[in-house]
Amino acid sequence: MDPKLAEVSQLFERFKAACAREDVDTCCNVLSKLKVLLTGFSSLPPLFEDTPNAIHELTLARDIYEHAVLLSVKIGDQDAFERDFFQLKPYYTDASSSRLPPSSQEYMILGLNLLRLLVQNRIAEFHTELELLSSTALENPCIKHAVELEQSFMEGAYNRVLSAKQTVPCKTYDYFMDLLAKTVRDEIAGCSEKAYGYLSVSDARQMLLFSSDNELLQYIKEEQPEWEIKTGQVIFQKAKESASCKEIPSLQLINQTLSYARELERIV
Amino acid sequence: MALRRKLKAQVLCAFLNFALSPGSEPHNRLAAHLPKEDEHEMEFDTATSVSQSPVKHPLPELEIYCYLLVLIYLIDQKKYSEAKACSSASVARLKNLNRRTVDVLASRLYFYYSLSYELTGDLAEIRGNLLALHRIATLRHDELGQETLLNLLLRNYLHYNLYDQAEKLRSKAPRFEAHSNQQFCRYLFYLGKIRTIQLEYTDAKESLLQAARKAPVAALGFRVQCNKWAIIVRLLLGEIPERTVFMQKGMENALRPYFELTNAVRIGDLELFKSVAEKFSTTFSSDRTHNLIVRLRHNVIRTGLRNISISYSRISLADVAKKLRLDTANPVADAESIVAKAIRDGAIDATIDHANGWMVSKETGDIYSTNEPQIAFNSRIAFCLNMHNDAVRALRFPPNSHKEKESAEKRRERQQQEQELAKHIAEEDDDEF
Repeated sequence: MDPKLAEVSQLFERFKAACAREDVDTCCNVLSKLKVLLTGFSSLPPLFEDTPNAIHELTLARDIYEHAVLLSVKIGDQDAFERDFFQLKPYYTDASSSRLPPSSQEYMILGLNLLRLLVQNRIAEFHTELELLSSTALENPCIKHAVELEQSFMEGAYNRVLSAKQTVPCKTYDYFMDLLAKTVRDEIAGCSEKAYGYLSVSDARQMLLFSSDNELLQYIKEEQPEWEIKTGQVIFQKAKESASCKEIPSLQLINQTLSYARELERIV
Repeated sequence: MALRRKLKAQVLCAFLNFALSPGSEPHNRLAAHLPKEDEHEMEFDTATSVSQSPVKHPLPELEIYCYLLVLIYLIDQKKYSEAKACSSASVARLKNLNRRTVDVLASRLYFYYSLSYELTGDLAEIRGNLLALHRIATLRHDELGQETLLNLLLRNYLHYNLYDQAEKLRSKAPRFEAHSNQQFCRYLFYLGKIRTIQLEYTDAKESLLQAARKAPVAALGFRVQCNKWAIIVRLLLGEIPERTVFMQKGMENALRPYFELTNAVRIGDLELFKSVAEKFSTTFSSDRTHNLIVRLRHNVIRTGLRNISISYSRISLADVAKKLRLDTANPVADAESIVAKAIRDGAIDATIDHANGWMVSKETGDIYSTNEPQIAFNSRIAFCLNMHNDAVRALRFPPNSHKEKESAEKRRERQQQEQELAKHIAEEDDDEF
């Protein structure tokens, strides 16, 4: 086997062992060394040259990047995830159609990416990514989970979002689901503010998914200073009495009338 | 167009013999693509013309025009793989030519080049070529070519659903005044599609409606596609397109699925929506609008909710869930969250009473006593005034009308009239005195 290829495979084995041991620092070091070695192969994107070992090299590189993506989820580094995912994408789209056998983790990683976009509230990119998926991909449980999550989020059925936490297809989704829970909680708080006049403390605690009253009180103190707590009820700041309509917005009216006069004068 | 129907192998052969001297290299290349019918007839032709005329120096434009005719003929005959070979040869030839007079023909050739590859399903192959051609066109300041190639590239990317690459290209490509109405329409359509997928519905609606309006009446298929996407974008924006949109001449059958879809959204009935989506799912998949239809579910729920809030002053959340036909595990809790979100977004005006589990709609007061009518009128007035200003600016006078030289006859006439007028005035004066 090609010496370079042998070296990379060896290093990759060490990397996988370190991952299994949960040794994050070694993993990161080995990963950077692997990436540098990968630049030596010319069969990888963007060159896509047809060397004799091309398929082997491509498969190896793809595995390395998949592990890199999973590592970034484990350490919770979203930027690294984005970088590694973008490097991984050509392997799924361009290379797979021609030569490589499909990867077993492809759908899981695609689902993870969709979830990440949802958490970061980049809905436009979420939909763009969705367009790229074929209909067979959409049937896969990992991806279906992310799509349904986005639908529930858009509709506002937040309880469905939170209950979906129980039904994750794979354990790696947990990190993003936790982040999502936080976003959802803020959304629920915002909606409740406008929709309810007041809520009993126990109801509020249930809706915002806190496990004890103290957590609820702390949350209100930190995030929502306008809410008042009186006699076991959470009173949301009701909108001030709508200003009586006797007030005339004079400045606005003056501006409008002046613009009418100006335009009418221009008509020859 | 009338010419296109008359294109036959013999006619083409005869034209090739006429335009390009037979036995010359371009002629051989082109004639190779035509079917070898009536071989002896061709030989006879070559014999006579060789004896008749001296060697002709064909203009490159003529050669390119011949390529174009052969290509159109092959595509009409459905010989797509040969069309592919012919078009690749022509594009290779074009790269060497650098004459502005060839530009118009070249842009037609690029279009058929892309079309022949698309019909054989190999669009991805030519992407690199198209990009190179676009670079060359920009270098040569070939604006028509640039426009055509940009549209072809966008079409290429959108064919494979590569929306973000298409958007990156479109935002970086140089923009200028559109030279050709047809290319501009196509550009607007692709732009509208990209914007729809990126959730920018207002921009998308504007582009798609403009494309549908500017398109020539003969381009029925194109207008149907524009209208389909425009209808969906309007539904996603929350407005219901009026019935006349669906009843345009020639489009009734094609737009029928979208008509039923609009109906479902208008009523706000989730079950009807689901059944319509399933019934026409093949049409929607072939139009690639399937994902957009899925997004419409949210709109259906909103409309249903709005209807309920207007009709009931107070209604329990369990009833809301039943009316909306939410078929989930926990409908009441879902309904509560959905209503809360709708209230926050301003879609309905109500409050929820959690303890009793019902939704109370707010009374809408007398609108005329507020400033609402003033604001509505103001927006309409501003729109009309803007339109008036735009129309005045768009008035076009025929060029050089003020410099039109009077012909001798007109001048005589005018002088005669002036004299008569002067005499008339003088007489009047005399009379008065």
